[in-house]
Amino acid sequence: MGKLIVSSLKLLYRDKQALFWALAFPVIFAVIFGLFDFTDVPDVDIAVVVEEGSPVSEGLLDGLGEIDAFSVTSLRSLDVARDELVKGYWDVVLGVPAAAPGQPLLLFVLYNETNFETNQFAISAIERLAGVMNLQIAGVDPPPVAVESRGIAGKSVEYYDFLLPGLVAMGVMNFSIIGMSVAISRFREQRILKRILATPLRPVKFLTAQVVARLALALVQAALILAVGVYVFGANLYGNVLWLFALATVANLIFLNLGFAVAGRAANPDAAQGIANAVALPMMFLSGVFFPTETLPEVMQVVVRYLPLTPLIEAMRTVAIDGESILRTGPQLALLGAWVAVSFAIAARNFRFARA
Amino acid sequence: MSATTRPGEREARPTGSAEAEGGASREPAVEVVDLEKTFPAPGGGTLTAVDGVSFSVARGEVFGFLGPNGAGKTTTLEIVEGLQSPTAGVTRVLGLDSHRDRNRMKERIGVQLQAGAYFDYLTLEEILDLFGSFYPRQVAPEALLDKVGLLDKRKALVKQLSGGQAQRFSIVASLVNDPEVVFLDEPTTGLDPQARRNLWDLVQAIHDEGTTVVLTTHYMEEAEFLCDRVAIIDNGRIQALDTPLELIHGLPAAYRIVFATHQDVNDGELAALPGVVEVASPANGAATHELRVSRAQVTLPSFLDWASGRGVEVDDVRVLPATLEDVFLSLTGRSLRE
Repeated sequence: MGKLIVSSLKLLYRDKQALFWALAFPVIFAVIFGLFDFTDVPDVDIAVVVEEGSPVSEGLLDGLGEIDAFSVTSLRSLDVARDELVKGYWDVVLGVPAAAPGQPLLLFVLYNETNFETNQFAISAIERLAGVMNLQIAGVDPPPVAVESRGIAGKSVEYYDFLLPGLVAMGVMNFSIIGMSVAISRFREQRILKRILATPLRPVKFLTAQVVARLALALVQAALILAVGVYVFGANLYGNVLWLFALATVANLIFLNLGFAVAGRAANPDAAQGIANAVALPMMFLSGVFFPTETLPEVMQVVVRYLPLTPLIEAMRTVAIDGESILRTGPQLALLGAWVAVSFAIAARNFRFARA
Repeated sequence: MSATTRPGEREARPTGSAEAEGGASREPAVEVVDLEKTFPAPGGGTLTAVDGVSFSVARGEVFGFLGPNGAGKTTTLEIVEGLQSPTAGVTRVLGLDSHRDRNRMKERIGVQLQAGAYFDYLTLEEILDLFGSFYPRQVAPEALLDKVGLLDKRKALVKQLSGGQAQRFSIVASLVNDPEVVFLDEPTTGLDPQARRNLWDLVQAIHDEGTTVVLTTHYMEEAEFLCDRVAIIDNGRIQALDTPLELIHGLPAAYRIVFATHQDVNDGELAALPGVVEVASPANGAATHELRVSRAQVTLPSFLDWASGRGVEVDDVRVLPATLEDVFLSLTGRSLRE
């Protein structure tokens, strides 16, 4: 059995091209997403049209310039500014009319209705600025009520931290469903399964060696993705990596079973590749690798919750982000356990070592 | 345990047919009784691949199945090897039922499948070592590779071998357990004549060590050269079974007299010569004539008398024995190559 496992590992390891794609695909994802910067504050482009310069308008421009998220541009014509707002050049246009004696200076803000968050942020900032200036002009200085805000160092969870466990889960799934079904299908095509059947070796031993080899290599892949994420792109990993590996291995049994089922149905390796992709791709997009499943329509969430990749990703995030023990992922583990049994039944029904 | 020596009680090849088998205590190498195999046909109904085949192979024999593609050779072989189950009938190897005693049988046989069947990314040495580990006893990979002149390729992958080398490897890989019976399915299909000759030498070497060899082929030269006995199979039935020589001598015309002439020849006169069974006239313009005759030594003198008496100048006169191809033709009315 030992010799068989070592041979299976050699087969995986020496097929460099297949190995590269199996291992590198999710790592490439980890790199690409690592290059994006998801932490930027919204950048608001403001055009300011001042009809007649005054100390008030000067103060306003200075105040806007001090807000980091604003990039302020002065324009001469309100018509041009409005035009360009419609075209989407500006998020907000601030009009400062000429001051009429005895009248309050009425600032007006034009905003693009399609961009709600940016507008609210910009309008409230402008209102706050006007309030401060009113108090100053009224001679109330220092202002009677002041706010001092202090940041408390809390746990920082960014999109990339959310994404990384998803990528690990996706990598395991693809490596096993696609990799296993294509490999077994190729063994069948090359008559290796039949050749094995002509020896006293029990077929289940041959398959077990394949499974063990793939479980091991999947962990190498998971380690690789996590290493790139944490050491190259500084992802935060709060939980115990060993729990992640344990989860990956349990779920991998499901994916390997599905791989066997696909290999049992596919006429040849190309067909296996196609069917395996049809099984894996929907899960990759639906089960929350890239986005929380809560963003899906509710009807779909009901179904998606029970796909095998979903509880794996949820459990992995509970461990990786919340820093919880694997014991806190009871419902997910139960679902994964059920899937191990169900997928084994599916595989047993669809996979035959030899075709009569 | 790694035993490379052959058990002493195994004897050298018997010279006769299956009946020349030793004492009653020794079962034949292979015994097949009333074997049938049907498959569901694609358009409904059933397709009969093997239709009542019975034969037995003596220990130490080289036994061949000769027949065209689709005749049922491979199906028969795979049922005997325990790879497919029969629809009806019994197959035994070394006295063990191919299906009920499958695992004990597998330990004592070697199987070479029609094509390839080895891992892409293991070296020759690793494949032999791995397959050897499936058996209670195994032959050292070096010894096996040496036997087929591939010792210097021990670190090579199968895909780095030539067609002939790969085929030699696939045969030697069926010997990892020092089997008592070896099954070779079309061992030389697709090889060039030189590589085929090499393989014949290998099969004979295996045979000389006392191993029983059961092979299939659709090359009549191969069956004639290698096999002690040949079963001619067509449409799932054994049409004839005997030594190649007996099969040929069993033909009404066991010889051919071939000659060339540019003169007009009366076929009727040739047909009237003693011992002539059939006259094959040349197609338009060709000069070569062929007489199928039962006994060449009777026909030849009268043929030469006829030629000199008629003033026919004959050239390139040859007497050829009939071949298994002729046997197949006379049994089935078709050529093997069809």
